[in-house]
Amino acid sequence: MKKQTKKEKPKSKKKALVRIDAASAPSVIDSVPAAAIVPAVESKTKPVKPERKLKATPPASKKEKTGKTDVKHLVCLLGDEQLVREYSTAFQEKGIAVQELKNLGSVKNSAKKITVAIELTIASTEQKRKNLQALDEALPANVPIVSNAVAETILSQSHHLKHLHRFVGIAAFPTLLANPLVELSPSLHTTKETADTVKALFESAKKETAMVQDSVGMVMPRILCQIINEALFTVQNDVASPKDIDEAMKHGTNYPHGPIAWGEQIGFSNVVAVLDALYLHYHEERYKVAPILRQLALAGIFWETKE
Amino acid sequence: MAISIGIVGAGTMGAGIAHIAALNKFNVSLYDINEEVIRRSVEKINYEMKRSVDKNKISDDDMKMALTRIKKRTNINDLDTCDLIIEAVLEDIKVKRDLFKKLDQIAHHTTILATNTSSLSVTSIASATKHPGRVVGMHFFNPVHQMKLVEIVKGTLTSDETIRSATAIAEQLGKKTIQVKDTPGFVVNRVARPFYGEALKILGENVTSLEEIDRIVKKSGGFKMGPFELMDMIGNDVNFSVTESIYEQTFHEPRFRPSQIQQQMVEAGLFGKKSKKGFYNYEEK
Repeated sequence: MKKQTKKEKPKSKKKALVRIDAASAPSVIDSVPAAAIVPAVESKTKPVKPERKLKATPPASKKEKTGKTDVKHLVCLLGDEQLVREYSTAFQEKGIAVQELKNLGSVKNSAKKITVAIELTIASTEQKRKNLQALDEALPANVPIVSNAVAETILSQSHHLKHLHRFVGIAAFPTLLANPLVELSPSLHTTKETADTVKALFESAKKETAMVQDSVGMVMPRILCQIINEALFTVQNDVASPKDIDEAMKHGTNYPHGPIAWGEQIGFSNVVAVLDALYLHYHEERYKVAPILRQLALAGIFWETKE
Repeated sequence: MAISIGIVGAGTMGAGIAHIAALNKFNVSLYDINEEVIRRSVEKINYEMKRSVDKNKISDDDMKMALTRIKKRTNINDLDTCDLIIEAVLEDIKVKRDLFKKLDQIAHHTTILATNTSSLSVTSIASATKHPGRVVGMHFFNPVHQMKLVEIVKGTLTSDETIRSATAIAEQLGKKTIQVKDTPGFVVNRVARPFYGEALKILGENVTSLEEIDRIVKKSGGFKMGPFELMDMIGNDVNFSVTESIYEQTFHEPRFRPSQIQQQMVEAGLFGKKSKKGFYNYEEK
């Protein structure tokens, strides 16, 4: 089959010709539910004092600028260790203060200083539900709670909680934060204020955002996990060696990484979590997990793919 | 003595293979039924080599020497002295089988017969000959002089010696090789299926627009091109038929089910760049 050249760049002025009905960008509710309105946003006006768990201090505020980008954020991170590490580094590199939350009890102590909370657990687990509930109870109603929604929609994670308007989904998946774009998904309840605050936070961390509909796997993790799964079906069928498959995808079609080594970096159990969630959601055979991938997820090891 | 390579079919892939073979000091016999096709093919090789000279990738002498190594052939019997014959005609199993039957009769018994098929069964092509052991898949990627990979495809009856020789020659052509068992889509086209199929499914569910999917895949995933840009470049007709072929050959494996969106694109003639309209509009304004 024909493959792309390395140098080919899409024309900047091109317009989409084919469009499926309905809006491309998901809608967010324009008005804030009355109960959610909190008149004064404390954290926006009070300077944030560095505290014990604070990893970085924000840079000198840009007084000449106005608007949301002025907010001195304190971002609270919890959930999967690998992702907390990636997000913590990414924010701190851009001078945004971060609090890594090790236990749920401590959220109450800094509740008034936190401007955005990000729950990064991938798999839909009991712990994830506990985390979200604790955050929802402890944080003022105007503080957005961003939750990893690659393996469960944000609506499904939050529908039983109190302040539905402040939940936003994020496609947090290991290795992706090295790139300049973050995918977000509002639920049917998410307010524009919530979405805007979260967008502004990522923009101040020099990340573009893309708003997509609240759906399992969102865009990049869903496509990527399917590619990794097919690569492992190919191993399973003994078509080629794992190392050769990775080489082939890098040199035959310019993929940024070999899919198997990439899957290993992401964590095979995370890949399986997304695929299982897709399978559960769609009941479609296309999302069945390659048996060897499930074994790798359980064993947590792999062979000979190291680049 | 220099190894000689015969190439059957002077289309895009045949020309690309002739280009790199001549540059790497092989004697090339470029065959096509149509003399005009060969003439245009050699012109294209000339043009591409000139560009490499301009970029200082090869010298003017390299180019001149390479071009003298390409012999234009319109009589297939003239390929009888080739050490390796690579077939790059259209993707039609009957055409390929008939051709291999003929090549098997013409070629010396030590000659390796290779097919550049991207989606047909090497085993089936080989079975048209009396010596299936010498038939192998050598799957190059477009554009041949830029893409580093060749999939060396082992049919059911392909001999180990044939695999070794085909691999060695591909390496002398400056390519990385991987050995692949003869299965639908081999490795690259198979593992790449979800890149297109899942993106089309996401579009069909209105998760977001196709421009946004392309932006996300490039900027969140680090891919050089988004799936819709790439399908437009490959050609939706070609991309769809590869998916369909893999789907049929796997007895309707659900993971490879073709997309109705793309089928309609093909029916509407929205092939992509080559027809100026695909998922995006490429018409000059």
